[in-house]
Amino acid sequence: MNEPILSVRDLVVKFSLRGQVLTAIRKASLDLYEGETLAIVGESGSGKSVFTKSWIGMLDANGWIDSGSIMFEGKNLATYTTEPEWLTIRGKKLAMVFQDPMTALNPLRTVGMQIQEALELHQDLHGEQARAKTVEILSEVGIDEPEMRYSQYPHEFSGGMRQRVVIAIAVACNPRILICDEPTTALDVTIQAQILELIRGLQRKMGATLVYITHDLGVVANVADRVAVMYAGEIIEYGTVEEIFYDARHPYTWALLSSLPQLGIKGEPLYSIRGTPPNLFADIQGDAFAPRNPNALKIDFVKGPPFFQVSQTHFAKTWLLDPRAPRVEPPATIKAMRDKYERYAL
Amino acid sequence: MLKYSFKRLSQSLVTVFIVVTLVFLLMRLLPVEGYFGDGYDKLTPEQREAILRKFGLLDPWYIQLKNFYASLFKGDLGRSIIYRPDVPVLNIIKLKIPYSFAFGIVAIVLSLTAGLAMGIHMAREKGRIWDRIWSSYIVFINAVPSAVYLLFIQLYITNIKLFRLPMLFDRHNTISWILPAISMSLGGTAGYAMWMRRYMVDQLNQDYIRLARAKGMSDRQIMVKHVLRNAFVPMAQYLPASVLFTISGSIYIESLYSIPGMGGLLVDVIQRQDNPLVQTLVLIYSVLGIFGLFLGDILMAVFDPRIRLEKAGGAR
Repeated sequence: MNEPILSVRDLVVKFSLRGQVLTAIRKASLDLYEGETLAIVGESGSGKSVFTKSWIGMLDANGWIDSGSIMFEGKNLATYTTEPEWLTIRGKKLAMVFQDPMTALNPLRTVGMQIQEALELHQDLHGEQARAKTVEILSEVGIDEPEMRYSQYPHEFSGGMRQRVVIAIAVACNPRILICDEPTTALDVTIQAQILELIRGLQRKMGATLVYITHDLGVVANVADRVAVMYAGEIIEYGTVEEIFYDARHPYTWALLSSLPQLGIKGEPLYSIRGTPPNLFADIQGDAFAPRNPNALKIDFVKGPPFFQVSQTHFAKTWLLDPRAPRVEPPATIKAMRDKYERYAL
Repeated sequence: MLKYSFKRLSQSLVTVFIVVTLVFLLMRLLPVEGYFGDGYDKLTPEQREAILRKFGLLDPWYIQLKNFYASLFKGDLGRSIIYRPDVPVLNIIKLKIPYSFAFGIVAIVLSLTAGLAMGIHMAREKGRIWDRIWSSYIVFINAVPSAVYLLFIQLYITNIKLFRLPMLFDRHNTISWILPAISMSLGGTAGYAMWMRRYMVDQLNQDYIRLARAKGMSDRQIMVKHVLRNAFVPMAQYLPASVLFTISGSIYIESLYSIPGMGGLLVDVIQRQDNPLVQTLVLIYSVLGIFGLFLGDILMAVFDPRIRLEKAGGAR
């Protein structure tokens, strides 16, 4: 593979909450390659959003990057502390689309002006030119009668259309990397597919690299080239979308996939992961998933596993891949999927 | 927008009508001694009745109300009885308005500038030391009765030899304007600061601020282009009312510094039972208040498109 466009190494992000320190991201590492679509999946609270927010300096005021590096265009973003530093990349090189389009727009400014602001900041367009470009972008993101829509207010738009406007703002930034933080969660299913299609089309046109944050594995299967699975603030497995769906190695990934209703076996109760995610205020000893893992080994409670290579693109952080480990069979649903895949793919 | 203004205007007119009627009826419940002037004891019962008849006070209340409205529409609000016997009340009030108005405008400008600046500063320094300092000022102003601190200001600041500020207002002496104007702005400053801080913090926690940041706007740009304007909208609602109320003057401060304004006049004529004057002043106060609220709603609709287009067929 070619050089990564963004490379995160051993990132640690902490928050101070009521006098206590919470470690939200625990030595997460990730490479992002030019032009690809990467999906970051994991349950709520696993740190998906915080992880990506730390790349653009948008952690809440009580959070900070404790250690590690985020290399982008030869600079280490993890060392950025001041607003002017972040403004050199935020919006310009890395842009973000948020989950809830209903509240993401300023209700008192026209939709056109809110897109135009981004154009003026990043593309050095002003006045009539900026206006014309805004109308063009509006029609690009699939909004009819863009001229008329330009001077309307957000409350005159439906949810799906507002998400189009939010995407239009991201497009106006013309970023190298676009981070979509659950862009379709708040929309109804028919609109979801349209929005995903729109994002995909725009990505092709802009040549941007895309990062999806989602817990909807259906979306992942639809849009992603590669998948990274997050648990308790670390990346525990990553690989191509086929490798993750059909050849997952980490027990947490198995559990996550098994709890997909689409993959469940008819008549059997839907699988759910027992227990709760670890307390991030405390130091975590060993593998964070061990207490919830029915197949946990003794060593899982003592020492965290390193990444083991499964293929050139597939890595997983579990002792099960150690040559000395006992052989543990994945759950039935996972095996069924793997068999199905092998049968059809070969 | 037009439809909305018209609707609000007619509502306001109805309110004015109700208030005016209520004020008139309440005034009928007051004792009638005021109508006899100073010579009450010297009058025979027949003379007293003649005077009451002259003022129309012996008619049934609905006839009195009808007569009152008839003369109101002619622009006749009656004549003063005791304060300036037989002078039309409007002529008396006309002389008072400029003082109250001048002080009011100065106070508004002072309190708006100071209050908004304080509120913005507090919102930006939220939870830090300056937020607390200004908060304690606001708590002080709201918790301590104004009569107390205003009196202390008058007593102790005029005592400081360095400033040589006079105790009472004198229209020929410019520096005698300073203390009353500052006193009048203290309360408003606290109010504006408190609301401005609150509305700004509200706005800063909105999702669209996050998007604006992600867009790459600097904190300063976000403040100016998004937060300030949005925070100002709910404030706008109360602005016209407070501007209009300045015309009526500050009752307490005007009597404290003997400023010949409308507020001082009201205290005066209530004590002396000059009923036509009291009635007119109360009427002016209430109409100004209602009109102020009406203007506030219109101003808010100008700023906020969601109100403007509510019934005009926008999506949802």
